[in-house]
Amino acid sequence: MEEQVEDPAQETRRLQRCLNDLVSLLALPAIWRAGEPSQIVQTLLDVLLRTLNLEFACVRLEDAFGPMPVEMLRVAEPGKINLRPEQLNNILRRSFGAQSQGPPAQGPYHSGIEDISMFPVPLGVQGEIGLIVVGSGRANFPSQIESLLLSVAANQATLGLQDAKLLCEQKRVADELDRQVTERTRALAATNRELRKQIVERKKKEEELRLNEEALRLGEERWRSVFENSAVGVALSDLHGRFIATNPVYQNMLGYTEDELQQLTFLDITHEEDAEHNRSLIGELLEGKRQQFQIEKQYRRKDGQPVWVRNNVSVVPGTDRMPRFLMALSEDITQRKLSEEALARARSELANVARITSLGVLTASIAHEVNQPLSGIITNASTCLRMLSADPPNIDGARETARRTIRDGNRASEVISRLRTLYTKREPALESMDLNEATREVIALSLSELQRNGVILRQELARDLPLVVGDRIQLQQVILNLIRNAAEAMRTIHDRPRDLLIRTERDGDNRTRLNVRDSGVGFAPQDADKMFAAFHTTKTDGMGIGLSISRSIIEAHQGYLWATPNDGPGSTFSFSIPCWRGGLAAAEIPVTRADSSTDAA
Amino acid sequence: MMRIRSVAHNQLSSNTKVQWTPPFRMLHCLVMESPRGRSGGARPLLSIVDDDESVRESLPDLIREFGFAARAFSSAQEFLSSGTLHETSCLILDIAMPGMTGPELQQELKDRGQEIPIVFITAQRNERIRDRVLRQGATALLLKPFTDAALLAAIKTALQAG
Repeated sequence: MEEQVEDPAQETRRLQRCLNDLVSLLALPAIWRAGEPSQIVQTLLDVLLRTLNLEFACVRLEDAFGPMPVEMLRVAEPGKINLRPEQLNNILRRSFGAQSQGPPAQGPYHSGIEDISMFPVPLGVQGEIGLIVVGSGRANFPSQIESLLLSVAANQATLGLQDAKLLCEQKRVADELDRQVTERTRALAATNRELRKQIVERKKKEEELRLNEEALRLGEERWRSVFENSAVGVALSDLHGRFIATNPVYQNMLGYTEDELQQLTFLDITHEEDAEHNRSLIGELLEGKRQQFQIEKQYRRKDGQPVWVRNNVSVVPGTDRMPRFLMALSEDITQRKLSEEALARARSELANVARITSLGVLTASIAHEVNQPLSGIITNASTCLRMLSADPPNIDGARETARRTIRDGNRASEVISRLRTLYTKREPALESMDLNEATREVIALSLSELQRNGVILRQELARDLPLVVGDRIQLQQVILNLIRNAAEAMRTIHDRPRDLLIRTERDGDNRTRLNVRDSGVGFAPQDADKMFAAFHTTKTDGMGIGLSISRSIIEAHQGYLWATPNDGPGSTFSFSIPCWRGGLAAAEIPVTRADSSTDAA
Repeated sequence: MMRIRSVAHNQLSSNTKVQWTPPFRMLHCLVMESPRGRSGGARPLLSIVDDDESVRESLPDLIREFGFAARAFSSAQEFLSSGTLHETSCLILDIAMPGMTGPELQQELKDRGQEIPIVFITAQRNERIRDRVLRQGATALLLKPFTDAALLAAIKTALQAG
């Protein structure tokens, strides 16, 4: 304040104006509150231009304030001096160009234009906020008051800008936060959706798994139940035959507990006679030569008692978690075996009864057969005697009658020898035999009886019939029985010929068939099976076991015996038995036990 | 009584083989030479009806030795159609035959009013049939084998009855 006070009134006005200006500047922060830096700077420059009556005022801010321009220039309008833009640019470049080397020196520095006095005012203590440069056409610029006002304005602006910067920073941080929150929220929402989806899928999978487990459990339960409740014994064993699991039927059949069985192999309880055969069948099974096999064999129970079983044995293929193992379905056939043995005995006894019965029923026929030739013998012998006693003796006639006597004697002898063969009880004798020849012998025996019954007999015996294997006498009994049945069936027939046809023929490649066809009363289809039952009869006499016994005999020859109604009247009874194949094994008659292992595959 | 059909061998079809044991010579109706030639007077004719060939073969010889004429027939039908019905003094008749049986022929003759004395011969004992044929007027029933004496006695009785 070196200016001289020239006029107190003027001085008072000047001071008053200065105070007003100061008040205006001090009021600036209130305007700037929450303002933008650009607005702050612009307001500041405008206020400085007006208050200090400047030619121009410009500002440069060091720090970036967001979208705010880095530099701003305000020029008085209309200016006292006419600054050209390029001049102004030069001024500014010079003033700010040094700024990077540090804060500009205090005080006016030369603008390079004669009429302009420039004055820099730093923003911030070290000018770290920025720099304001003002220019005035007055030579004494700035006065003390103007310097004061400028520094006050710069301080105010610094405070405002710092607030704005802070605000701006806060806003930026808030925006960033917002953005991050938004982004995080979005990510979270996406994660949430994904999680929800996963939860749904997991639930679905869990449900599927639960259903699968349920199904598996049910399946397991069902199979377990099948195993436990099977009507036949089931045994699972490893490839060495050691029991893995057995069901109650199997355990009961053998009298062992499951634990005891698991210490054993099936060969341990198999009868010694069956063991070797059984072992070789298992071998074939494991080598893949068989899919399965069936064997009838004896087990020894824990209490030592034998049990007859029929086993169906197969290999259960392994999986990656389970090795292959053997499965046996085991049926207790002890009762059946005992029955079979009893049946075989009964059959043998019945066959004998049948022979005796036939003998009884055929007595009349036998008498006829024998008496016919006897009658001839006696008649011829009597004639012969008379011819020889005549006078002269009729020698030629006597010779002829004597010849007839011998012939009839031979005939009687043959009849008796045939009968003796037929009705002598003996064990079944298997031989290869000519079925035609056997049939002819039976026919010869039956012929007179058939003739007496008015039966017309025809024979069609195949010329090239192969030999069969069997018990000749038993087969002849069957044929005789069929012929007698046929004659019996035609006994009440009067309105048509009583035709009886006996035919032999080949039945396929290796069987021979014999048919006995009658024109009798026939039978109802529903009786087809009943006829073969023992003691079924439609006759008032006889024991009615003929067909039953016949069927037993034929079945013992590995054959079949059956009856079919004819197209016309009557019925046909047939049997079919195997041909002889150079050995007797083909038709070996099973008496006690047969090797019944068969490969069902 | 059963009806019985007659079967002659030549009625069998060609592809049919009936085996007889032992095989007989194929003899059919045997026509005997007339006995008149020997004695000059007419001898009674005895007709034999039997399906058994050995009977037809042997019996006529014996009867001729008895001094009668004899003819043999294999069935009732053959006898009925032979034309010797009226010449026959005595019939020697089998009971069981294919076709018409002995008792049926007896009934047939009775129905025709041809009452010829009949001596039945049979290989089978059957009291019921025996009683019936005797009740129907048969002279005798002889069981095969019978003696020549029994036959001669029966024939004589029959001829006296005739």
